[in-house]
Amino acid sequence: MAKKTSAKKSAGKKKTKTSKASKAPKGASFSRRNSKLDLQATVEPSQGQLAFDGVPSSGTEDSFFGDGGNGSVVELHEAAQARYLNYALSVITSRALPDVRDGLKPVQRRILYTMWRQNLTADTKFRKCAKVVGDVMGSFHPHGDAAIYDALVRVAQPFLTRLPLVQGSGNFGSLDGDPPAAMRYTECRLARACDEILGEIGQRTVHFRPNYDATKSEPIVLPSKIPNLLVNGATGIAVGMATNIPPHNLDEIMTALIKMLDAQLSDRELSTRQLCRWVQGPDFPTGGQILNDAEELKQIYERGSGAIRLRATVESGKIKRGTKFLYITSIPYMVNKAQLVQRIAEVVLSRQMPPLLDVKDISTDDVRIQLSLKAEADEHKVMAYLYKNTPLQSNFNVNLTCLVPTENPEVGRPERIELSEVLWHFLHFRMEVVTRRLENELEGISKRIHILNGLETVFDGLDQILRIVRRSEGKADAAKKIMARFPLDAEQTDAILELKLYRLAKLEILIVRRELTERRKRATEIRRFLKKEELRWKLVRQELLETQTRYGKTDSRRTRIEAVKNEPAFTADDFIVAEDNHVLVTTDGWLKRQREIKDPSRTRLREGDSVMACFAGSTRASCVFFSNFGYAYSSRIIDLPATTGYGVPIQKLFNLRDGERLVSSFSLDTRVTGNIFADETRPDYAPETHAIAVTSDGYSLRFGLETFVEPSIRNGRRFARLGTGAEIFGVEPIHGDETIIVATAKARVLLCAAEEINYLEGTGRGLILIKLGKDDRVLGFVAATTGQDGLSVVTSRGAKKTISAERYEVTSRAGRGRPLLKNGELTEILRPEVSAPASIDSADPAETIH
Amino acid sequence: MTKYTAKDITVLQGLEPVRKRPGMYIGGVSSHGLHHLVWEILDNSVDEAMNGHAGSIKVTLHADGSSLTVSDDGRGIPVDRHPRAKKPAIEVILTTLHAGGKFDGQNYKTAGGLHGVGASVVNALSSSLIATVKRDGYVHEMKFKAGKPIGKLKKLGRGGGSGTSIRFHPDPKIFPKTKFNIDVIRERLETTSYLHRGLRITLNDEIAKTKQFFQHEEGLAAYLASILTDRRAKPAHDKPFILERDSDDAGTRLQIVLQWTESTDEHLRSYVNGIPTASGGSHENGFRAGLGKAVRNYVETHKLTPKGVSVTSEDLREGLTGVLSVFIKEPQFQGQTKDRLNNPEVQQYVDATLRPALELWLNHNRSIAEAIVARIILAARAREASRAASAAITRKTATKGRLMLPGKLSDCTQTRAAGTELFIVEGDSAGGSAKQGRDRARQAVLPLRGKVLNTEQASLAKVLENKELADLVQALGCGLGKSFDLERLRYQSVILLADADADGHHITTLLLTFIYRHMPELIRAGCIYIAQPPLYRLDVGKQTHWAADERDKSRILSKYAKGKKVEITRFKGLGEMMPKTLWQTTLNPKTRRLQRVCISDALQADRVISELMGKDPQARFNFIMERAEEAEELDV
Repeated sequence: MAKKTSAKKSAGKKKTKTSKASKAPKGASFSRRNSKLDLQATVEPSQGQLAFDGVPSSGTEDSFFGDGGNGSVVELHEAAQARYLNYALSVITSRALPDVRDGLKPVQRRILYTMWRQNLTADTKFRKCAKVVGDVMGSFHPHGDAAIYDALVRVAQPFLTRLPLVQGSGNFGSLDGDPPAAMRYTECRLARACDEILGEIGQRTVHFRPNYDATKSEPIVLPSKIPNLLVNGATGIAVGMATNIPPHNLDEIMTALIKMLDAQLSDRELSTRQLCRWVQGPDFPTGGQILNDAEELKQIYERGSGAIRLRATVESGKIKRGTKFLYITSIPYMVNKAQLVQRIAEVVLSRQMPPLLDVKDISTDDVRIQLSLKAEADEHKVMAYLYKNTPLQSNFNVNLTCLVPTENPEVGRPERIELSEVLWHFLHFRMEVVTRRLENELEGISKRIHILNGLETVFDGLDQILRIVRRSEGKADAAKKIMARFPLDAEQTDAILELKLYRLAKLEILIVRRELTERRKRATEIRRFLKKEELRWKLVRQELLETQTRYGKTDSRRTRIEAVKNEPAFTADDFIVAEDNHVLVTTDGWLKRQREIKDPSRTRLREGDSVMACFAGSTRASCVFFSNFGYAYSSRIIDLPATTGYGVPIQKLFNLRDGERLVSSFSLDTRVTGNIFADETRPDYAPETHAIAVTSDGYSLRFGLETFVEPSIRNGRRFARLGTGAEIFGVEPIHGDETIIVATAKARVLLCAAEEINYLEGTGRGLILIKLGKDDRVLGFVAATTGQDGLSVVTSRGAKKTISAERYEVTSRAGRGRPLLKNGELTEILRPEVSAPASIDSADPAETIH
Repeated sequence: MTKYTAKDITVLQGLEPVRKRPGMYIGGVSSHGLHHLVWEILDNSVDEAMNGHAGSIKVTLHADGSSLTVSDDGRGIPVDRHPRAKKPAIEVILTTLHAGGKFDGQNYKTAGGLHGVGASVVNALSSSLIATVKRDGYVHEMKFKAGKPIGKLKKLGRGGGSGTSIRFHPDPKIFPKTKFNIDVIRERLETTSYLHRGLRITLNDEIAKTKQFFQHEEGLAAYLASILTDRRAKPAHDKPFILERDSDDAGTRLQIVLQWTESTDEHLRSYVNGIPTASGGSHENGFRAGLGKAVRNYVETHKLTPKGVSVTSEDLREGLTGVLSVFIKEPQFQGQTKDRLNNPEVQQYVDATLRPALELWLNHNRSIAEAIVARIILAARAREASRAASAAITRKTATKGRLMLPGKLSDCTQTRAAGTELFIVEGDSAGGSAKQGRDRARQAVLPLRGKVLNTEQASLAKVLENKELADLVQALGCGLGKSFDLERLRYQSVILLADADADGHHITTLLLTFIYRHMPELIRAGCIYIAQPPLYRLDVGKQTHWAADERDKSRILSKYAKGKKVEITRFKGLGEMMPKTLWQTTLNPKTRRLQRVCISDALQADRVISELMGKDPQARFNFIMERAEEAEELDV
């Protein structure tokens, strides 16, 4: 038949295509020679790992097989491989992946079949789930009860399953992630849709196999009229592969199937791309909005993989008393609503998005989450933030992997396939079911005709038969005598002997003849169907249409497919509300930011701590912390904790090493610090504002600050290399025209122009600023702008002295310095008290360059 | 009938009450009370040192073993006439209760003595006491007997320097025993030398004719080190926490050194003004509060809170060894024995000082802090575990020590490893069968629940955290990784016994992976076996037979099945079998069959394990697709 060859041809083509797509190596085949019952299964010599080769059976009657406890030796890798392979294949072929035809995993199929066997259909009373689970477990599924109940609940949850297969009564869980009630409380029965899935099972439409203990038989696939794989989707993690198929709209899939069938009947073939005209995209039970455009969706269906970007739907509400309301009316698939609200609440509480004031879950049967915004807020910006930072927008990663039928009816082969293949497999499965159903019907009718024929033959001689029976010695004897008298076979004779007496009435022959005519007519019709494939395809088409009318037309699409165009893009900075803050850093390394710190000396400090720095900056700007080990840590000011308490230790934000402490910190807001960006044409020249660092062993370097604008990793960035045992003493921002005043413990003082110190582009050790005597060390330094600026020191006698450029001679660097005292040493440098930051001239905090 | 009137009321004069009721002043007349006399005199000298007036103290135990001299190079007890008492000050001090220089706070900032009774009490309880004072260029001497002066204050002559020396002999009328214990004195002196950094203390033992010097520039840090050595406690981190705070205005001084150790008890020595406070008091309370807050705050700040276990304050201090010494102006002790501090403000002070300092130190020493937090979490887990293990069993090992074994282990009764076997069984269902069916003398059973952690993809820390694997390691006793020691393996062989279904195969591979990665020596030593439970169950009439493989099956079939209906099922799980059957088919060394696991090609083994269990799913995928055809019977 032309049609069939065409279909087969396309199948062959597809197979090569997919084997490439799924990267299956050549020759990989999942066909299994041995069925479970086929106990001839032997281990091939080539895979001796599991064979008991070479071990003689002891042969004693009572022993099972003796080997004195030692046994054979097996290589670790062989033992592992053989066992792992067995496990992997079991999981792949009979646990985690759905069948392309009925879209069910084994456990689901067993649940539905068990319920069907018990006539637990949509028009019966509900039955306890525990009973169902127990029956499934006892009859077909020798695994844990919890797993079976979970599977049962899943197919009943309307927010997970697009077309629920089971009706649940009682608490079956909720969108908020509440667990279902225990199975001893809940009740269930099959949903109406299962009539379509299981209705034809009694008509020998599908292959059966024995259950695990060979006491019953179970179907390998259900004769579903619903393309369940696409309609309800599936998720599963196997070994080495997984599946994630989104749910779809039944109406759309049915239309696509019919279109595909029509094309096939007119000898055409529809590609996945073409089929996408009718299958617009997934249709999730929870609604939402798909952001992928048509082209992306086509590619996903073609490749059988790709990410569906799914977003909640939002309605705007009224503005009341300065508050704007937005309502979330649907959320992405598989998102826990309670957790989602929790996440949004966290955004509100941590004031990450200040215009968002409140979130309230006012859902009843439908999802409805109320967001309160400031009336003047830009709702697009707020939503953009929420989409980015909460599960309000989530991805669904499609992976169209499923089991496709092989020559061996009992085992499927895992394959990742495209949309057209899924539909192709379903259509051909329908064809097979219809054919087998007709064959089964024909067989029944033929039997009946045969018996009716017999009846017709003997109807006139019934009196004779009665006499024969009366005179015979039992049923067998009667049959023998009847067969000798009339041209009947055993089957017909038996049917006659089983006749009820009332059938001997006069008019019965008319009924028999009428039935015979009808049956013969039907038999002829079926034979015609079986002969002409095209007719059967039409039958398939008609049945598809019926199913579509019954279930598809009433169930409109829930998920909107609407690619958002020209959505305003927001950068991370846009979400930071630009405002000027003050940052306070203590000597012990506690950090905090506040709107304004009027008097740093009165801030809350831990016992023994003191203020090291207090500076201003926009929340969008960065600040930098320098440590005694030569590392710099930068952070956005927004990321520092806003608190009026002690703040947090720097170690919370960064990984400081043991014994590392902060020596200096300042703002990198250009409005505060000045231009810190290097002239690109002359990178070796110091920018207007750069920094100077001095070490305890008398070295000093100047370096740029531009690199510190970008927030650093937790381990910080190195800005200076240090000699052994040396520490950074301080880092200060300078312009290059200052005078550096440095003092040592042994009371030597050196003043030099800042320009004399090298400006380094990268990390370095710098140059000697002051040559130190034995056991001497640098005590501190200051970069003086004017002649009055000075370094205040305390001598070992307790006197205070101020060294300023005005009173001391400025020399060049790398000298030994001048002695400050005749005898005695310096004990400490007096740091000027940290004052409140000066107000920033430029009023707009968003203006900082970064 | 006698009348009870005013004349019956006795008022004890001078030092009489001390002699009448010594217990009230020195806590009794036992050895403890006897040595208390030494401490009273010593504390006076230390008080001089504490306030910077004395640099060395010398204690001499004289040859008679009962008399003792304490001398210092302090300012010397004043010898001028006391304006009110009209006697030399030294006489007032030594003969009057509640006379002393430590009441007004001018001459002494902090002091151990404060009631002004110490020296006079010693005097009262001594059969003889000689006080020698060097002061203002002269040497003065005064003698007492039972607290009463014998003669007047004498000037012995000129002498340089200054200092006080007190020689006394406890009164045998009061003390049943008057011999001093040199060891007790030595220990106290040593402690004192640690508490007062730099103070030089000499102990001159005239009986043994030895001299000992105690001087520690390191102070408490050295003290801590010596405590750790004495207690043989292994520190959980290097570098102890040292805190020293001097606040001049309040006259308080706080010194703390701390180190967490591997030992399981808490050991804190606390001192107030150099006096040990064995019963604790407000300073210790403040210490505990501050320590707790600091550590907890650190843990919270850095989000180190362990999952599944709550940390109690006892956990925080498990293994903590430390010395706490406070010097305060007006200590209030409970009782004259001064072993419990009562000042409520000290609690607040210690708490408020220790907390920020310790937190800062933790923050500035992250690697040490992490070791400490790890130690604390370990303590918390151990506590939880020990509670859980109240049902756990113990067994004598070959070395006769007792060790903790997981509660689920059904151990064998034989204690020697030779000839014993450990069955690692999948699940409690099968574990029960195995437990009932085994040979109790030689076979132990450890049931594991569910799928074991895939150790190929987990860090060692996670492996150690895993309950099932931890139980396994504990049961094996041989340790893992670097600390592996085959000698300590508690069984001769280890047999993996999982169901013959897909999940059983998976568990076997997971266990093999764990053993291969963390104790490969077990495999090399040939200790690891895989049990071969039967694959088929054959029901012939009312009889049930188990077949190991095809050959076995056909043998049974030809033997028993003749014409009878045979039901053959693939075996599902060990729980299906009666214990006795399990014994016959799988456990009995005479009739069972085992596979010993070996590694002959190490490279191959490594490659396969990382391919099957590693993080690369592609490798796994390729393996499955390539080998799909070789698969045996699948489980459906």
